[in-house]
Amino acid sequence: MITRSLFLRMVLPVVSLFGAATLMVGCGGSNAKDDEVIYIGVAGPFTGPQAKIGTDMAQGVDLAVAEWNERGGISGKKIVVIRGDDEAQPKQATAVAQDLVAKKVVGVVGHFNSGCSIPASEVFNDKKVVMISPASTNPRVTDRGYNGVFRVCGRDDQQGTVAGKFAIEQLKASRIAILHDKTTYGEGLANEFKKTIESLGVEPVYFGGVSKEELDFRAVISAIKAQNPDLWYFGGIYDQGGPLLNQARQSGLTAPLMSGDGLIDKELIKSAGKNAEGSYLTFGPDPARVPTAKTFIAKYRAKHGEPGAYSIYGYDAANVLLNAIAKSPSTKFDDLADFIHGNTFDSAMGPLAFDERGDIKGTYYILWIVKDGEFVVWEKNETAD
Amino acid sequence: MLEPLTNGITRGAIYALIALGYTMVYGILGMINFAHGEVYMIGMFIGILTLGVCTSLGAMPIGIALVLAFFVAMFFAAAQGYTNERIAYRPLRHASRLAPLISAVGVSIFLQNFVMNAQSKDIVNFPRQYSAPLVSPAFVIGDARVTWLQLFIIGLSVALMVGLYLFVQRTRLGKAMRACSQDQTMAGLTGIPVDRVVSATFVIGSSLAAAAGILFAMYNTVGKFDAGYVAGLRAFTAAVLGGIGNIPGAVLGGFIIGLTEDGTVYFWGGDWKDIAAFAALMIILIFRPRGLLGERVAEKV
Repeated sequence: MITRSLFLRMVLPVVSLFGAATLMVGCGGSNAKDDEVIYIGVAGPFTGPQAKIGTDMAQGVDLAVAEWNERGGISGKKIVVIRGDDEAQPKQATAVAQDLVAKKVVGVVGHFNSGCSIPASEVFNDKKVVMISPASTNPRVTDRGYNGVFRVCGRDDQQGTVAGKFAIEQLKASRIAILHDKTTYGEGLANEFKKTIESLGVEPVYFGGVSKEELDFRAVISAIKAQNPDLWYFGGIYDQGGPLLNQARQSGLTAPLMSGDGLIDKELIKSAGKNAEGSYLTFGPDPARVPTAKTFIAKYRAKHGEPGAYSIYGYDAANVLLNAIAKSPSTKFDDLADFIHGNTFDSAMGPLAFDERGDIKGTYYILWIVKDGEFVVWEKNETAD
Repeated sequence: MLEPLTNGITRGAIYALIALGYTMVYGILGMINFAHGEVYMIGMFIGILTLGVCTSLGAMPIGIALVLAFFVAMFFAAAQGYTNERIAYRPLRHASRLAPLISAVGVSIFLQNFVMNAQSKDIVNFPRQYSAPLVSPAFVIGDARVTWLQLFIIGLSVALMVGLYLFVQRTRLGKAMRACSQDQTMAGLTGIPVDRVVSATFVIGSSLAAAAGILFAMYNTVGKFDAGYVAGLRAFTAAVLGGIGNIPGAVLGGFIIGLTEDGTVYFWGGDWKDIAAFAALMIILIFRPRGLLGERVAEKV
């Protein structure tokens, strides 16, 4: 018969010990299987309005990982990718970063948006995980002196400068209006562009922002039109760039648009059609003209279809990380970071080396133009009319 | 300088159509239908989809395709509004004041995410061949280019608003709606089928919102699953500004908000656009707490 005291003295302790044992076995600790796998994280927008461009980047990473695994992985260990979706929202980015760290990733390719990379890098630096961004261009990403933060793309102070110089020196624009989407990326880029043209003696005739969810731009278009610009600049992403161009042309704003890497995506052409013709965009070198990129393009096409603008950057960032994991003395944070700082890597875009801040060495941005529905590198004899 | 005026009136017409739905529901049920913005968005998407179907069916005169799109979208949006009411609000009619509000927010979140997953998280392009002929300018006043599309939007919106006004003033069902908004219990006691009147209110308001949705997509060339959130917020503001529960008030409020937004951006820059509508609301409520034309006291929420 089970009396109350018997229960308290025998059954309860057994049950609680059993429960505690189960907890300890079930949570934490390492599985024997984990030692045979290396986890790397990929962080970016995989849902939401920028899902396509984020997925393009992630598929580039997947291709790199698949190639390494076919060659036997790293020291016989398989590489597994864990994706973290930040939906291009800075608040999600920190949560994603912490989640990836908890899942014990050795390094992370990401994030995509500067507004996400900056807060996420605080987490990664704090928890000592290497982070390589394929696309975040705001200067602050690498300016804070974190040893483990890198990027394989350019910086907005270069991007804005190249655009500004081009606008004044090549296009001889004198009345320039500037618009941005109030995000870290868009506003940062617009500010860099503004600084450059001001340093070359031209004051912008308009400078303002629109919120990220806005789809009706006629109010700012009116204000810009009233200033009679011969060029206007938009710091933002293609999902707003499309309707912006459509509405501008409908309102009679005929001046050419200039923008940055956020607008280089096929979706812009789908959305704006002929209204996008003659728009100037800054971006990295054309992969189609880099011999080493041709193999990448062919392999990507076979597996995932047409590559997006950032697929190759995802691929390169992943390869830098995987090379570091394979060849550095250990997978500890300091060794990985020092290895990446101290070596040159062969990548699809050519040789990559990093400076003390984590930026790639060498110049990067060139001008592109939309011609006949395609993005082509701008040549001296091409004009927008 | 005149362009903010013409743009503001166009945008205001669209807000007014949406605001009517908010104001009518508040007038009859005393609740704010937070899911109304999503009904507008659904009308937008169904309109775009219908036009897509028309395109794949082959050559069809643009006018017929547009009329079809409007009717189909208004029908389905009305069905959606009716369903919202039956499922999410009617069971809570005798519960606390807060319950239908929270239910509405839930419906709103559900519909937004449903469309986002079922359709696209990205922008959806309005098929341009159907708005192309209307995009050319009809005339130019000063520096303002007024396009046929803007005239179409204003014209159709005003026609719908006038139609609604006549309906509410001159028909039996309209009279029943006015009675229910005055005193629901008494109206029920005099033999008015209150449940049916409420349903009719939702159906009418949702149809107007759907028309607004298609007009918005035609005008801005794109639609997006969160368009309901943005426009709904501003239209709701317009309804309150004009006097919530008051039909002419909603129309007036819509045009005021539209003009305020365009005017503010024109003179002070795009950064202030989001603030413009709410600043206008605050200023007007300070001097007229019941809204510009409001007789109903806004004490219920």
